[in-house]
Amino acid sequence: MNNLHAKTLDIINLNVTLPNGHRLLRDVSLSLDPGEVRALVGESGAGKSMIGKAVLGILPTGISISQGEILLEGTHLNALTPATRRKTIAQTSALIPQDPLTALNPVRKIGPQITDPLTRIHGWTKARALARTRELLDRVHIRNPDRVLNSYPHELSGGMRQRILIAAAFAPSPRLIVADEPTTALDVTVQKEILRLIRELQRETGTGVLFVTHDMGVVAKISQKVTVLFGGRVVEDAPTHRIFENPEHAYTRALIAATPTPNASTEPFRPVPPALIAELHREIQADDDRFSKRAHR
Amino acid sequence: MVDATYSPRPMRFKIRNLRLWLPLLWIVTLIIAAVFAPIFAPHDPLAQDLMLERLPPFFIDGSEPGHLLGTDSLGRDVLSRMIYGARIALFVSVIAAFSTGIFGSTLGLIAGYYGGWWDRVISRLVDIWMAFPPVLFAVLLVAVIGTGLTSVIFAIALIDWTRFARVIRAETMVQAQMDYVDSARIGGARRMATLLSEILPNVLPSIIALLALEMGIAVIVEAILSFVNLSISSDDPTWGSMISEGRGAIHFAWWVLLFPLIALFLTVLSFSTLGEGLKKQFDPVLK
Repeated sequence: MNNLHAKTLDIINLNVTLPNGHRLLRDVSLSLDPGEVRALVGESGAGKSMIGKAVLGILPTGISISQGEILLEGTHLNALTPATRRKTIAQTSALIPQDPLTALNPVRKIGPQITDPLTRIHGWTKARALARTRELLDRVHIRNPDRVLNSYPHELSGGMRQRILIAAAFAPSPRLIVADEPTTALDVTVQKEILRLIRELQRETGTGVLFVTHDMGVVAKISQKVTVLFGGRVVEDAPTHRIFENPEHAYTRALIAATPTPNASTEPFRPVPPALIAELHREIQADDDRFSKRAHR
Repeated sequence: MVDATYSPRPMRFKIRNLRLWLPLLWIVTLIIAAVFAPIFAPHDPLAQDLMLERLPPFFIDGSEPGHLLGTDSLGRDVLSRMIYGARIALFVSVIAAFSTGIFGSTLGLIAGYYGGWWDRVISRLVDIWMAFPPVLFAVLLVAVIGTGLTSVIFAIALIDWTRFARVIRAETMVQAQMDYVDSARIGGARRMATLLSEILPNVLPSIIALLALEMGIAVIVEAILSFVNLSISSDDPTWGSMISEGRGAIHFAWWVLLFPLIALFLTVLSFSTLGEGLKKQFDPVLK
């Protein structure tokens, strides 16, 4: 059924809307090749996480896809029944969530939380699921996997939990991983290690990663392609090297310029100019007007 | 910090734990007394002896050795009636609290997790329900469906489910926001499975706390309905009917009123303190 040459993920003109009609994503299109890392950058509320949630089918209640297509491994998700869609997503995708403190169920032991999806969706035997989990826990440098599998989440540190979540995400070798700001809740020393682990495992398994972040430094380290978002709209979509060497859009340039540098004492901090933001908001307004005219015709 | 030889901390005997142990002690005593009532009760609770009416309890002059807590105006033994009354009180509290809890929590879980129309309908129903004054509602209900223990239990469940529905709905909504619920869904879990295996265990401490509280409330409601003679037939010994009978004789035989009242008070207090204590004990994070 699946086309082997298909892109891992293809999003075409995706619009995500609140019940009152306000659009959170405006005609977003992007694609992800197998084994590619694409960074989604933008400020808070730009819709970065919303893209990941739409793909994984976990949009909050009330928020829905109003227009557009999502193709996962060449399969049109919209065309499937909810049950088949859930199964397709579960078989191909995984999430590395933002906050490791709420991403594990506090009253369940770590072990079954990782192995359950493996036996349930991938049809593995318990022994195989457990062996694979141990192998991955070892890969993310967890020294005593058996003790960790028997622990409750609150018995482990934040960095440890995030490594466990990375292991859990990669365990079934998914085609797509959505990493939703996986380093934001961690301190800087742990961040570096987490990024390295994701990079390593991603290369080994050939998984495509949608990496949501607001940190341009992280973008440079991890991704091959970048999508810059503002107000739910794609501002610029380009290979990472081009984004840094020759950014086309004024907003991208402003974002890069706003990244703090170690020699902050000599270089003043340059926030995104308010005039530019006002300009972008005007564009969005014009776009919304066109959209509503289109809808009312 | 995590060390290699992790083991759950042993339960330490502290003042905080006393609040758990004392209520438990009273309730266990009550359960034993209720289960083995025929052994512990010195007299038949229904046996009347008009020669021995209104005997005072043992510490007052004029008491009779066989009647520890005295007798009522028909010469029935107060202690025996209290022990048999505990049977009815406990039976009603356990059955009523569990029916109320199961019914209310189910609706709360559904409203909190499924949201949308489910939530709108259930929440409005709760609002409407809570607009009725509960005791009047209970009296009216029992008057309509007939007296008896089953009616009392039914009335409690039908009136008080809102307590569970409200609290569990709110807790479910908090839990449903957590990333682990999303993770379970991405892992291919069905909605019902997510609700039962991910969310329910997290709201269980609240359900247990409410359950204990509800048992206390059920004891009171049963006593109220007995007091106004809408529970079991007035011959059967219940704390409520004893209080009702004792009320008329308070000036010359206060013990008929006081002892069941103390039992009622201690039981309700124990259930609610126990509920709070259990909630803390069950919560892996609070502990």
